Amino acid sequence: MAVAGITESEGRLILALEGEIDLEQAGAVRRALLDALKKGRTVLVDLSQVTYIDSSGIASLVEALQVAKKQKSELALVAVSQRVRRVLELARLDKVFQIHPDLAAATAAGAGSPGN
Amino acid sequence: MLQNNAGETTTEADELRLAAELSRSFASSDNVDATVRIALGNVMQLLKVEAGSLFLVDEAAGDLVCRASLGPNSIEGLRVPAGHGIVGRSVSEDRIEAVEDVSRDAGFFANADATSGFVTRSILCAPMKVGKKAIGAVEVLNKQNGHPFDLRDRDMLQVMGNAAALAIANARLADQLVEQERIKRELELASEIQKSLLPPADPDLPIQGINRPIREVSGDFYDYFTLPDGVIAFCLGDVSGKGMNAALLMAKTAALFRCLGKTIRAPARLLSILNREICETTSRGMFVTMLAGLYDPASGLLRFSNAGHLPPIVRKPCAGFRSFEASAPPLGILRDIAFPEETVRLENEMFLVFSDGVTEYRYGDKEELGPEGIDMLLNLSEGKPLGERLEDILKELNSGGWRAKDDITLLAIDDSLAGQIWRRVPSIASAESRSDFLFGLTIPAEADRLKLMRPVLAAAGKAAGFSDVEVADLELAATEAAENIILHAYGQGQRGDITLAVHRLEDGLMLRIRDFAPKVDQAKIHPRPLDEVRPGGLGTHFIRAVMDDANFIPLPDGEGNLLELVKRRKKD
Repeated sequence: MAVAGITESEGRLILALEGEIDLEQAGAVRRALLDALKKGRTVLVDLSQVTYIDSSGIASLVEALQVAKKQKSELALVAVSQRVRRVLELARLDKVFQIHPDLAAATAAGAGSPGN
Repeated sequence: MLQNNAGETTTEADELRLAAELSRSFASSDNVDATVRIALGNVMQLLKVEAGSLFLVDEAAGDLVCRASLGPNSIEGLRVPAGHGIVGRSVSEDRIEAVEDVSRDAGFFANADATSGFVTRSILCAPMKVGKKAIGAVEVLNKQNGHPFDLRDRDMLQVMGNAAALAIANARLADQLVEQERIKRELELASEIQKSLLPPADPDLPIQGINRPIREVSGDFYDYFTLPDGVIAFCLGDVSGKGMNAALLMAKTAALFRCLGKTIRAPARLLSILNREICETTSRGMFVTMLAGLYDPASGLLRFSNAGHLPPIVRKPCAGFRSFEASAPPLGILRDIAFPEETVRLENEMFLVFSDGVTEYRYGDKEELGPEGIDMLLNLSEGKPLGERLEDILKELNSGGWRAKDDITLLAIDDSLAGQIWRRVPSIASAESRSDFLFGLTIPAEADRLKLMRPVLAAAGKAAGFSDVEVADLELAATEAAENIILHAYGQGQRGDITLAVHRLEDGLMLRIRDFAPKVDQAKIHPRPLDEVRPGGLGTHFIRAVMDDANFIPLPDGEGNLLELVKRRKKD
């Protein structure tokens, strides 16, 4: 499964994704993201173990970001690999998402401030 | 009222009744053995004898064989050498034999009595003839009243023998007719099955063939089918000899081609595999001349290999033709030989393969049609549909003066038709001309199969010298294309296949991704504006962003959708 687990740390939900996120896994990723946004005001999506993502995975992230904005929650991406970053860049979404190099940086940046 | 020498009375009415019964039984019987038995039974009843037998000439063995025997002991199956015994003498001398006391006749063939225990006293034997041909004899033994046979018995046996001979001849003819009818039905069935091995004519394809056997079955064949990426595999062959054994080898070769042609994308290699197979399993002396090829309607590129078949021609309307000599022997002669391959780019031209039944068509005694004649006939039908043009050639050959010696088979690829159906994309045409097919795979259009496609594509990308980022781009583009097919071409609840064909180019890779869904209106597919942040619509944008070329190659209706993607290595 692409959803590795969900943990809570200092009031933030950390959703860890892994493996290949294509059309097969996009539905599960979308449900996990929307679920997390219901539970926490800040959701960090750990992408360090994601080896593949395409438009269907990106679509889930974009939908989650829109929900987050609407309910004034935070959604940020953490530990984006070169491969995932390439796809975000292709979609010109690398400036739209908050992106933190790792969990420590995300914590240090604090909620609400842009990641880069 | 008649009275015979035994003082018994037989009315004329009795005789007429028996004669009528005899003819009726003969008429209703269409089987030789049944007819023989009925004839003998009637004769015996009429002459009031203890035993009787009917012999027929066995033409193969040259002797007489007892085909029916009635009485206390059967001698059915007994063979009497020609000219031997009373029965043999009757047949060879063509006269009725009456022997009052067989013990005093040197010709009496005593074997029968010795084995049966029956004591033969007197014999009356009449030969049976049809026209001038002796077919056997009927003999009766021992009058029941112990008297010798009289003149009247002789006459009656002769008459009955003649009637039986006619009945037997009729029954034989009927048997022959039944057998001929059976063979004819089997040939018709074989012919029908053979026709079903030929591909159905498809007016949407720029290829068509025609086959007219000179007998019921043909030793010629042709076939073609579209491969997943739109390339058409085709062949035309001619099996040595005619008739049923040629037709069987034809069926086998055609089946092997259809099976191998789906996976082997190299005509020369395909022919050498076929050659080995035919060498191993075909009876000596039979061989197959065959041309096999691949034609890409999108580029006009045609590759073929020729195993001893007539040179194919490439022609343009009223501009003559060029031909390509075969440089390898037919299939089934030498086991380990290589077949050379030729490549032609058709420029709105027609590629034509034919069997020698066409070129060797003769007018009167001298002139052969030849490739020149085919070219000339095609000039006359310019502008007509391809299938009609091939029919026109047959029609011309069937009209006055021309004589067929052999099966007639023609296969034509009209590249100018492909130009109308498949829109040419110049960049693709040039890429394909230097492309090398690497592999193809088929996956069901289901989301959980996509990940199975990526590793093999990544391996091809690495082997083609692409960087890690470029390899990732290839995986992304192919997956996006397949996802579009799953979501949009097949749509909700529809099932089908996706095929991926990977070709190596001089400077990169070409992917052809095809589905078999209803035609998607390509005009409606466009990437969404990127400044609009919303899910969906990104896939097409990704494909265009990471690949150098992305073009839909139009296919005829019902053939699905074909996307061709090209990625080139960066020049540094």
